[in-house]
Amino acid sequence: MPMEIENSSAMTASNSGSAEVSCSSSGPPLSVPLPTGPPAKKKRNLPGMPDPDAEVVALSPKTLMATNRFVCEICNKGFQRDQNLQLHRRGHNLPWKLRQRTGKEPRKRVYVCPESTCVHHEPSRALGDLTGIKKHFCRKHGEKKWKCEKCSKRYAVQSDWKAHAKTCGTREYRCDCGTLFSRRDSFITHRAFCDALAEESAKVVVAPLSQPPKEERSLVPAMSPPPPPPRTCEGVGLAMPLQQVAPTEEEESENPPNVPQYPPPVAAPAPPLPSPPPPPPAPPTPTNPTRNTTATTGKSTSTLSGSTGTTTSTTPSLFASLFTSATPTGPPPQPTSYTDLISHMPEPPSLCLSTVPPASVFMQPRPTDRRSFTPSIPTQHMSATALLQKAAQMGATSSGSSFLKGFGLDISSPSPSEQHQDHRGIRESAFQQWGQQLEPDSAPLLSAGLGLGLHYDDSGMSLPDLMMGPPSLFVSKPATVDFLGLGMGPTVGSPTGGFPGLIRPIRGGLDLGAGSGSAGGPFGGGATQG
Amino acid sequence: MTQEENGSSTSTTSSSPLQSFSQMPLSPPPASTAPPTPPLPSAYLQNLRSDERGLYLIHFLLNCANHVSAGRLDHVSTLLQHISLLSSPDGDAMQRLSAAFSTALARRSLRPFPGLYQTLVGSSCSASASAIAAARHDFVNLCPFLRLAFAASNQAIVEAMEGEKLVHVIDLGASDPTQWIELLQLLAARPEGPPHLRLTAVSESKEVTNQISVCLTKEAERLDVPFQFNAILTDMNSLDVEKLKVKTGEALAVSSVLSLHLLLGNSNCQIEDFLNALWNLAPKIMVVTEQESNHNSPVLTERFVEALNYYAAVFDCLELTAPRNSVERARVERVLLGEEIKNIIACEGAERKERHERVESWGKRMEAAGFGRVPMGYYGLLHVRRMLQGLNCEGYRVREEKGCFFVCWQDRALFSVSAWRCRRFD
Repeated sequence: MPMEIENSSAMTASNSGSAEVSCSSSGPPLSVPLPTGPPAKKKRNLPGMPDPDAEVVALSPKTLMATNRFVCEICNKGFQRDQNLQLHRRGHNLPWKLRQRTGKEPRKRVYVCPESTCVHHEPSRALGDLTGIKKHFCRKHGEKKWKCEKCSKRYAVQSDWKAHAKTCGTREYRCDCGTLFSRRDSFITHRAFCDALAEESAKVVVAPLSQPPKEERSLVPAMSPPPPPPRTCEGVGLAMPLQQVAPTEEEESENPPNVPQYPPPVAAPAPPLPSPPPPPPAPPTPTNPTRNTTATTGKSTSTLSGSTGTTTSTTPSLFASLFTSATPTGPPPQPTSYTDLISHMPEPPSLCLSTVPPASVFMQPRPTDRRSFTPSIPTQHMSATALLQKAAQMGATSSGSSFLKGFGLDISSPSPSEQHQDHRGIRESAFQQWGQQLEPDSAPLLSAGLGLGLHYDDSGMSLPDLMMGPPSLFVSKPATVDFLGLGMGPTVGSPTGGFPGLIRPIRGGLDLGAGSGSAGGPFGGGATQG
Repeated sequence: MTQEENGSSTSTTSSSPLQSFSQMPLSPPPASTAPPTPPLPSAYLQNLRSDERGLYLIHFLLNCANHVSAGRLDHVSTLLQHISLLSSPDGDAMQRLSAAFSTALARRSLRPFPGLYQTLVGSSCSASASAIAAARHDFVNLCPFLRLAFAASNQAIVEAMEGEKLVHVIDLGASDPTQWIELLQLLAARPEGPPHLRLTAVSESKEVTNQISVCLTKEAERLDVPFQFNAILTDMNSLDVEKLKVKTGEALAVSSVLSLHLLLGNSNCQIEDFLNALWNLAPKIMVVTEQESNHNSPVLTERFVEALNYYAAVFDCLELTAPRNSVERARVERVLLGEEIKNIIACEGAERKERHERVESWGKRMEAAGFGRVPMGYYGLLHVRRMLQGLNCEGYRVREEKGCFFVCWQDRALFSVSAWRCRRFD
């Protein structure tokens, strides 16, 4: 025996050596004896590129699914792993010779999946690992025998099942909007869209608010403490679960936008919010028993939602969409409380923006504007997008186009040159009248503008819509520019008596102060005559 | 007063002073709101508030585009004069936007005079590829749009490559290593360990590919990810798919960031051929990021309006993101966006490369070429949303619709990210 040991030193020594090593230490067990010593790492092929001269083995499905592939020849005990079998065999006190593994694997083997439709059926996509191919086969082509008790997920591979069972149901998930989930996947699915809604509505309002934030903040803390503030989250199970959700920072910041979203149909925004908590809960309490059994906030929410039904002509669809789904039954109308609530909002910032004085607030937040709100800091700086929208809106209205005409950017001159000449003549003379207000020097500007009428055919197709929605900016009015209010065309002329009246508003409009944020200074001139 | 009839509630408030003006009898206007003396046009114009000025600019621009399209140079010239008085490359968003568009319109109006066009426009044509790449890099750093798109694309790639050991990524129109650095990080963090990653970058500029190579090799070493880089120096139109050296058996991902539209220039066939050739490579996933706007209409005025709206959003974003004197912002606006705008408006035919289209059009093309849509996935959306929150930027949004992601500024979608797989057997 010693001779044998020496003879086969290269292999057996390392083999036994490795066997010793593997049992004494808890290092990575070495499988079959390697030509190199134990410390050398097994040569790995580039992943995805199987060894070109490896033997391709296609095991049968039965083999792949079998669990106990290695059987001890002495006692016929089955093992899933070769190493385990080896360990077991040592326990049989075999003589040295028998202890060696016969039939070492001479060649590297790669395995293909026997299933012909599978990607890994092709030798070029073979997997190098036996365990890997077994697991692959079970997962993809096997029957899913293992089922999680808590959820209904099924697994074909036991280890997958075990791994899942460790985490399944260990956590319950609650979305910000209050819905409970036991399954992580459905929770995530829900959150993806719930978050979307929440964030968008929050950010829509929060983002452009540079000035009002302070007011919002003051609003929020006041609102938040005892009654958890109403949540923005549309749709799903709002009112009830909301109260239990502790207001987070995020929630708070979303609140002010939430409330202001209700376009204040009634004017009364001016008074700053005195003491928010009392009013919302108080008024509703007596009058609104409501379905919201839970606390005060429920009241406020239900109040607000209640007002959905009632409120005012301008009850926005937004409003409705916010709460209708959540409110199965329309709560009794609470106009007063709603108004109170709203009235306590300092300048409910419309969906859009501003710090604007109350008046303008009511202008902007219209339900439809929700999608196309114009972010801007009203008085000073409108973003380019906001300007474009405004221009489009102006163009969409008769006021806008009348303004344009007033300004001289008339749109309806099919025959450019001549008509321009005419108009120019007319207008220039009119501008002469205007004298005091506009020196002729400025006339070039205007007259130049005059000459630049847009040449549209009646379909107004020359310049497509500024916005995808609103009609084109330069909607062609039927032909004539009734600039002089001669009654030839559509009611361009101001009700105040035509031309001069028209001119003045333009002039005055040009200096329109802030605030009215209204259809931009100059261009709003003709607007109001509509 | 019909106050409610229109969406422009702004003009109908009872509080509008306009109304009061219009009611007034003929008399000198109240001097309170009027400038003391009617100033000369330029002075008058300078007294305008920014939004009034902006509205003027819009009107002038639209008028001008119309005239350019009709060839009325004299009108164009006058309008451009007015625009130049009001616009400025260093002003607010609307002014910068107008500066860019008016330049483009001016160039466009020279087209009927080939000699003039060639001399003035042709020579000083576009910035060099490396300048554009630098500007693109600035854009990536300044605004998170592209980074979000990169994150979404990488997420899709990593999901598709789950379990793969050898991944080959082809970057069409490569310009920035940021995306691939993130991909390396994602792959290194895979539970099953990183795959071997091969990256083939297609670009026109050697500098760009060198820079990418250096950055990525360093990062890969740091993360211990086996990595291999190849560069192909060609422009998209002359790309030979064979050169991509895709080996059989490797899992292929194709990524195109704002590059696929360059192929729409010559003829429809070219893009079809290209997509077919890609399909033959059987990529596991193809991620396409494109501008979400239709700048490919044959009608100039339509393009103009679309582009105006689109770039208005981008300029707005820059206005709120960077200070006015920021060098990077100027580079982005003039070199990157300015060149795009010029190309969209002033060029035609093969010269007009920036043929952006909306994701629905791309979808149809991809499906016609045999690709099936891969929905971008909830996890991807979450990942991107988290990233967005981490960036702490206001106004940026990511939206998912029909399996595609849209990276938006406020409500306006600016970039679309969609993923496709080679539909071979079904």
